[in-house]
Amino acid sequence: MSHPAHERLTVDLLRPLEQTSWRFYLLVAFLGSIVAMGLGTWLYQMYMGFGMTGINMPVYWAFYITNFVFWIGISHAGTLISAILRLVNAGWRRPVTRCAEVITAFALMIGAMFPIIHLGRPWLFFWLVPYPNQRLIWPNFRSPLVWDFFAISTYLTGSLLFLFLPMIPDFALIRDRATGFRRRAYGLLSLGWRGTTTQWHRLETAMQIMAIAIIPVAVSVHTIVSFDFSMAPVPMWHSTMFGPYFVAGAIFSGIAGLIIAMASLRKFLHLERYLHPVHFENLGKLLLMMSLLWGYFIFAERLTTWFGNDVGEMNVFYVTQRGSFSPLYWTMVVCNLVIPFTILALRWLRTIAGCVVASFSVCIGMWLERFLIVVPSLSHKYLPYSWGHYRPRPVEIMITVATFAAMTLLYTLFSKFVPIISIWELKAGDHPSSELYPAAMHEHSLGETRA
Amino acid sequence: MTVDLDRCTGCGACVTACHAENNIPTVGDEQAARGRAMHWIRVERYWDGEFPDARLKFRPVMCQQCDAAPCEPVCPTYASHHTDEGLNAQVYNRCIGTRYCANACPYNVRFFDFFNPQWPKPLDAQLNPDVSIREVGVMEKCTFCVQRIHAVEIQAKADKREVKDGEIQPACAQSCSAKALVFGDLNDPESDVSRLSRAERGAKLLEELGTQPKITYLAKQTQA
Amino acid sequence: MSAVYGLYEDGDAAQIAVDALRAGGVYDNEIVVISSEPMEDYEFGAIDHRSRLWYVASAGGVLGCAGAVWLTRFTEIAWPLSTGNMPIVAWWPNLIVVFELTMLGAILSTVAALVVTGGLARRVPPLYDPAISTGKILVGVDSPRDRAAVERAILSAGSPVVVR
Repeated sequence: MSHPAHERLTVDLLRPLEQTSWRFYLLVAFLGSIVAMGLGTWLYQMYMGFGMTGINMPVYWAFYITNFVFWIGISHAGTLISAILRLVNAGWRRPVTRCAEVITAFALMIGAMFPIIHLGRPWLFFWLVPYPNQRLIWPNFRSPLVWDFFAISTYLTGSLLFLFLPMIPDFALIRDRATGFRRRAYGLLSLGWRGTTTQWHRLETAMQIMAIAIIPVAVSVHTIVSFDFSMAPVPMWHSTMFGPYFVAGAIFSGIAGLIIAMASLRKFLHLERYLHPVHFENLGKLLLMMSLLWGYFIFAERLTTWFGNDVGEMNVFYVTQRGSFSPLYWTMVVCNLVIPFTILALRWLRTIAGCVVASFSVCIGMWLERFLIVVPSLSHKYLPYSWGHYRPRPVEIMITVATFAAMTLLYTLFSKFVPIISIWELKAGDHPSSELYPAAMHEHSLGETRA
Repeated sequence: MTVDLDRCTGCGACVTACHAENNIPTVGDEQAARGRAMHWIRVERYWDGEFPDARLKFRPVMCQQCDAAPCEPVCPTYASHHTDEGLNAQVYNRCIGTRYCANACPYNVRFFDFFNPQWPKPLDAQLNPDVSIREVGVMEKCTFCVQRIHAVEIQAKADKREVKDGEIQPACAQSCSAKALVFGDLNDPESDVSRLSRAERGAKLLEELGTQPKITYLAKQTQA
Repeated sequence: MSAVYGLYEDGDAAQIAVDALRAGGVYDNEIVVISSEPMEDYEFGAIDHRSRLWYVASAGGVLGCAGAVWLTRFTEIAWPLSTGNMPIVAWWPNLIVVFELTMLGAILSTVAALVVTGGLARRVPPLYDPAISTGKILVGVDSPRDRAAVERAILSAGSPVVVR
């Protein structure tokens, strides 16, 4: 524990909280205005009627559901990096965990807005909550949308707590260095943390439990989101593979989102000492692996459909492969497979910049993938007379853009008020983990009990 | 219900009658071009063959009132559920407009109110007081004219008698000039609709999906 | 309450101080060690009984599971509506809600137990020194029985005595 290094670490990681440049205010103003426009657009949509969107018969779900699945997918970044790497004691996760967990929390919040935005009567969304009421009606637990409600609520609660718990010691650190109102605010947030051995033990045990608990929840969340599709008898939706396929896609897009976020933080907050190229290399290799996994799932799904030759399914198959959706389809394949594979498989291209380019490509590709799951199937269901088409309208495009702005804005604001790299975890990396020193198995250390 | 495709001339009287009986608004040509027309019953038109030997086939499609309806379990608020009489009910007041039921319906017979309905004068004088008007954001579909079913059942109960076969006439069946649509009680093996459902040339639409639809389509006889 | 403690530069010095306190007759569960990082590679960092958080989490999970089973069964029976030819109490879909609420129970009970057993969110602020945030380690005793012995031990390990 070389003191000067730790002191420097603290100073570096707290600098964004203590110093603000005009660029920050400009960015916040710009993003804030886009978000405000998005909110206004939504109010406009509610006031004028849902017909302002491009939804029609039979394409009743389009942009908003695509965004919903996309953002919930992005939210799987935090869980993978934080929980799984924590459980396997991978030391390189330390500077990365909080960046990732923050993405999860905010992506979930944004994703969870979309089931409300896409409702015909959004002011009644609370009817999905099971509470005793005068209507003498409970939500229908057989409905995948009610499963969505429970899954996303659980995951959001779990992720927020998973994010908040390791922030407590850092809040205590800031509290001690701050004065006045900031001192009281961070004091409240730190819940009076001191740092006794008991508290450290409890915290680390709680983090361990949360890590184990949050992984199945994360897997279940995106599986349940996939059930929104696979439970309906729509051609190329009713597939048993959707659960694992969506989870793999979620982790894929999540890692891409994380790489972009980390690269931005490294550049704009001058964290070059803490986020090393090796972190990006490791994440890049994970991204490559997920790209191949995604390719495997797509191949298995397409081959099975093509081989089965079911009339309804083949219509959707060909309309994506050769028909009106084919430009989007092949763009998706290039963005998700060709570009990431080329960049990430060649070590001399697997730089930070290369990883970021691959990640942007993946984000575009995965958004298209969600869109291509939702819209082509709905536009070509079983009765050809009612086939339709879909074109997005300005309200949908505006709200989509606004959510990307909202994510960036929330992330920027977060990094202004909370150190984006976990200070105590980085320092603790110098101490070997407790697995090397068995905890007090024989309670000899306690001595006599207090009188 | 049975639909005799041999008798259907594609005249569309059933569509008009349904609009009139159930207060279904017309959406205007711009919205209709965007695919938002709300025809609870529609006459599907398919071309057979090439010009100059092209033939036209008509098929009226309305809610099949499936016994294993895929639209019912997916509704989060029980707005779409199965009644004891075997109908698929749509409760407008419970609908929050997720539109999941419409996606799950393989027959595309569920419709969404994209805007508040408008009836330019004097069409508003023709509205049926027995049927509620749906506001923006809810789903609606064919109910087999449940208001007529209930009216006849209530009358029969008051008269202390059974409902006679053919007494309940949904608007489409009532207005079909070719008598292609026959409605009745499938639980009564002697009713017209039961006998027609057992006919040789009867088939159900998209039966392989397992929805167990109640409507039997009697195939068109081939021309000599 | 009065506490007597010293501030040490690093883990080695803190370990010496803890040993000195023990030699001075202080029991292990009276020694307070506060640091800005978890010091698990030092012996003093292991002074604690086995954590019972795992049991709390499991109990919370069981509670969540029971609650979810009750919620789904009770509501489906209380207002039985037939949908899609599925049974009134459909256990396949109910399993999903049961799983989610089980995990939620485990998570919430863990966090609640952490706050309670970690002594967080207390009204009366207990012993603390802001110097800890600069990396110093606090070793001392809260309300010592033998104050002189404690002060000797702290001094012998190389830190001025602080009384709070």
